[in-house]
Amino acid sequence: MTVSRGSSPSRRQVIRSLAGGGLILPGLLSELIGNDSTTPRPPHIAPKVKRVIFVFMTGGVSHVDTFDPKPFLTKNHDRPRRKGSYYKGADWSFRRHGKSGIEVSDLFPRIGSVIDDICVIRSMQNINGDHFGATIGIHTGSATFNRPSIGSWVSYGLGTVNRSLPAFMVVSPGLPYGGAQSWGSDFLPATHEGTRIVPGDEPIANVRRRSSSAALQATELDLVQYFDRQHLEGRETDSTLAARVRSLETAFRMQAAAPEVFDLSSESDAMHELYGLERGSTAGFAWQCLVARRLAERGVRFIELIDGDSSIDKNWDAHAKMSSYDALARNVDRPIAALIQDLKARGMLDETLVVWTTEFGRGPFSPSPGAEGRGHHARAYSSWLAGGGVRGGMVHGASDELGDDVAENIVTAHDFQATILHQLGIDHERLTYRHGGRDFRLTDVHGRVVREILA
Amino acid sequence: MIRLVVTLSLLGAPAEDGLEPGIAVEGAGYWAFQRVEKPDVPHVSREDWRGNPVDRFILARLEKEGLAPVPPATRRVLIRRTTFDLIGLPPTPQEVDAFLADDSPDAFAKVVDRLLGSKEYGERWGRHWLDLVRYADTAGDAADFPVPEAYKYRNWVIESFACDETYDDFVREQIAGDLLPAADDDERWRQTIATGYIAISRRIGVSPHNLRHITIESTIDNLGKTFLGLTIGCARCHDHKFDRIPTSDYYAFYGIFDSSVYPHAGAEHQPYRRDFVYRAGKAKADEILRPYRETLAPWDRREREALKLYRSFQDRKVTDPSLTRESTWKALLRVRERRALVARTFPDLEIAHAIQEGKSRDAHVMKGGDPSSKAKGALVRRGFLRVLGGAKLAAEAAGSGRAELAGWLTDRSNPLTARVMANRVWHHHFGRGIVATTSDFGVRGSPPTHPELLDYLAARFVESGWSVKAMHRLVLLSETYRLGNAESARNSKLDPENLLLWRANRVRLEAEQLRDSLLTLSGRLDASIGQRHPFPHRLTYFYRQHEPFSETYATNRRSVYMLQRRLEKDAFLDLFDGPDGNLHVGERGESTTTLQSLYLMNSEFVHEQVDAMARRLLAETGDGSPRPRLDWAYERLFSRRPDDQEVARGREHLSTLRAIIARSEGARADVERLAWSAYLRSMVGSNAFLFVD
Repeated sequence: MTVSRGSSPSRRQVIRSLAGGGLILPGLLSELIGNDSTTPRPPHIAPKVKRVIFVFMTGGVSHVDTFDPKPFLTKNHDRPRRKGSYYKGADWSFRRHGKSGIEVSDLFPRIGSVIDDICVIRSMQNINGDHFGATIGIHTGSATFNRPSIGSWVSYGLGTVNRSLPAFMVVSPGLPYGGAQSWGSDFLPATHEGTRIVPGDEPIANVRRRSSSAALQATELDLVQYFDRQHLEGRETDSTLAARVRSLETAFRMQAAAPEVFDLSSESDAMHELYGLERGSTAGFAWQCLVARRLAERGVRFIELIDGDSSIDKNWDAHAKMSSYDALARNVDRPIAALIQDLKARGMLDETLVVWTTEFGRGPFSPSPGAEGRGHHARAYSSWLAGGGVRGGMVHGASDELGDDVAENIVTAHDFQATILHQLGIDHERLTYRHGGRDFRLTDVHGRVVREILA
Repeated sequence: MIRLVVTLSLLGAPAEDGLEPGIAVEGAGYWAFQRVEKPDVPHVSREDWRGNPVDRFILARLEKEGLAPVPPATRRVLIRRTTFDLIGLPPTPQEVDAFLADDSPDAFAKVVDRLLGSKEYGERWGRHWLDLVRYADTAGDAADFPVPEAYKYRNWVIESFACDETYDDFVREQIAGDLLPAADDDERWRQTIATGYIAISRRIGVSPHNLRHITIESTIDNLGKTFLGLTIGCARCHDHKFDRIPTSDYYAFYGIFDSSVYPHAGAEHQPYRRDFVYRAGKAKADEILRPYRETLAPWDRREREALKLYRSFQDRKVTDPSLTRESTWKALLRVRERRALVARTFPDLEIAHAIQEGKSRDAHVMKGGDPSSKAKGALVRRGFLRVLGGAKLAAEAAGSGRAELAGWLTDRSNPLTARVMANRVWHHHFGRGIVATTSDFGVRGSPPTHPELLDYLAARFVESGWSVKAMHRLVLLSETYRLGNAESARNSKLDPENLLLWRANRVRLEAEQLRDSLLTLSGRLDASIGQRHPFPHRLTYFYRQHEPFSETYATNRRSVYMLQRRLEKDAFLDLFDGPDGNLHVGERGESTTTLQSLYLMNSEFVHEQVDAMARRLLAETGDGSPRPRLDWAYERLFSRRPDDQEVARGREHLSTLRAIIARSEGARADVERLAWSAYLRSMVGSNAFLFVD
């Protein structure tokens, strides 16, 4: 027999004597005993960033109308390509921005204004062409069967630094395609599941005190501690019991911390103005972005912002009318740019990787002249990265003249994921979890870090 | 029926056995593939541990390692443990008292028999099985279409455990119940429902009916893990890297399911259901339904036309000024409403979500698991795993091969079926299996801690006629099961993880145990058996990925009867590591998370149940003195009575609570009830309630 783990006798004796005498506080106890899967863990390689803000646009944002200009399509708009297929040019003009002169369409003038901090990837390719498969594909690496989300892998790989907040939080007023699978931990321990944040007076489920007064709840918690102390007699060495005691304390801390995190009243008028948020409002993407910055300040590792939900006409899935993009872009352009500016002003952009992506692009062709919408297009589309360790003012990869296929430097969903993990100091090939008899990883057997875009 | 012959020589045979190159050599002679031989029961020195063979295996190993078992659990601990284990609920105070007062030698055996005979036993152990087969009430496609008939399979599982259906029949019926002889029509129908096991395979995407290979993979992967403890799914694309399972084995299975007809519950691109099984038979059902179908058909056409008009905005510029996207959508909804009126007139025939025989054919190996791959692999005769003998369907076999598969799986000489199930029973009683990876007996799984004991259990399981309840009795009536949890520094040093079972493992209440206990103690539990969920009419589904099926149906029934969707999980069950309708789960997680604690502190459910519990407590404990009330609470939540010191502290705590409540709520508040609510809530949030010793 070998001793595989367990606390040293001296430490155990200390704990027992304290607990037995009723002197020990659960907080102290939890410091003394046990380890759990949320304790911070060292990265594989030197990390470039401390956290990721993963901005996801639901529905599939058209690349040829936003970050990937195609003059050929505009020139040949509504001309036949072959029977039943016509070129469809962008509905918005493109203009050059910043020192880099990268072209961005007029849908995103403010993101254009910070383009020198952004690396645009015009050669993205996802593994599936339907919302469901592509959404869970970009989040989990699998378009078919459920797998843990990228945020869960990060939480599992790096643990949490803020003991009052989870490592992976998802600000998502609506549900994307595939619902909560986008932040599910699947076979990873449940503690790594994304904690969903919604607008309103209870942003995290059950975070609001329900007992009628703070004094009453404090007494209830004292009582739980009394029962737990009684129960611990003769069970001092069970680290699971100690972990439960600790989780109750963390819950209490989270309940205490949450109102402050989500109370934006301390943010200045100038800050509200920057993000385009009306004071007191929790509507729109501006609220999500400002909350993201506050979570980033408080040490949350992986913050995801989801725009839109799966219901028709509330996301970027413009089958019928591209003109719906005007309002959709207005909702996100200013706050996303503000987030980058704000992080930069606070000196946090260097240590934060901001990711902007979507499940796929939209088709450059239409089935008839004058058709106002575009179909799904996963073969080539655009995404971008900004901040820590990424070269700003850069375009990586290219689609062909039509925006139909990747022309050079393909970046697959798995490459994209490998690169994000890499910036956090995680080797995507080494972050594995044994489940059902084999070692799983986010990128399956694929994925290559896109080193060309790293500073 | 083909008999499985395990040719041991084959296991270590060289290349001429026809195995493709690249199969790991570890497979040869591997223990789990050897026939189960009932081992001799070892001799042990302690007389009190000689009565039950299980104990002799356990103690012999402990003695060998220089370990000694700790003293037995108290009767209070034991009855709480056993009751949660077998029925998922706490014992009543009367049950505890009766056990304490019973000084007959078979007092504990009587408790075990009472629990095994209860309906609640089926609900608890049926749930274990439903975890394995990733049971759900929806299909899992991108729109998560409901399967209103799925519950029949769920209830079949629960009933099968409750009536101790022999495990070999239980397995056979799930694979090929429709093909087995039946005494009467009720039995035939019951067996047909059992094939719901195959029917609930996971669907994906907007056109799952076009992704047959994915559905069949879900079946094969699950079948391998559930019945054999093997991961066969990997062999869809490549020879299994670690176990001797070549892709040709996968496609030998594949042909069997490819020769079967799966029901289609509907999906975005094909919303109409098909291939469900009618109890009356297809011909009779067609005859009865013909006039209704004829009435519905024009509405189907109108619906498709209205949809096409709406979708035309995607393909062209609509020039008719009277049409907008909104107006065509509303028109579509109106057509669907009127169509639904017709659909609802259909007679309510008895329908099962079940499997039928299809056109029999062998399958080709698909390169890379991709059916569209142009390079077709070899045609593989339908059959069974090579490491288990590699029997093939006879040339004259007429059907899909499911009947033969059912026979192979349950053949007494199959080395895995009995071992895997006996180990599952062990896992649920001890918190860890003899093979800890309960669904992976392959070379990458955990080696058994007690290989002889596992074989002994497997052999006894088969000898008993595959009775799961006999397995429970054998295990539960052991001294090993009755051990306490005491610490032992010496044992801990040698075996810190208690692998050799020198004491009992403490476990956290599972999600269902927690919810069902609270409902029971609050008096709110609806103890009836769950039936069909209140889904809309089966012929009116037009869910899309934009508007997936997303209803929730509240119930106070036991948790096993809650609606289980595949795209969205129930927030509570998910929070406490509950079932996952997408994944085979052999061992649930036992996580401890902050969000769980928030749930216990602040959730509406806990507050409501505890308030109801407080009302019951006050109503059932007459004169208002604290002692009987504290007894009431301790007995129900902790299965024990408070000692004098705890009563004294309880009085103090309650006066503190009363004072705080009177201050904040004013004199008119029902201070006593609110104080007891707070007190009970603290008990519910404490480890003494949440853990089982």
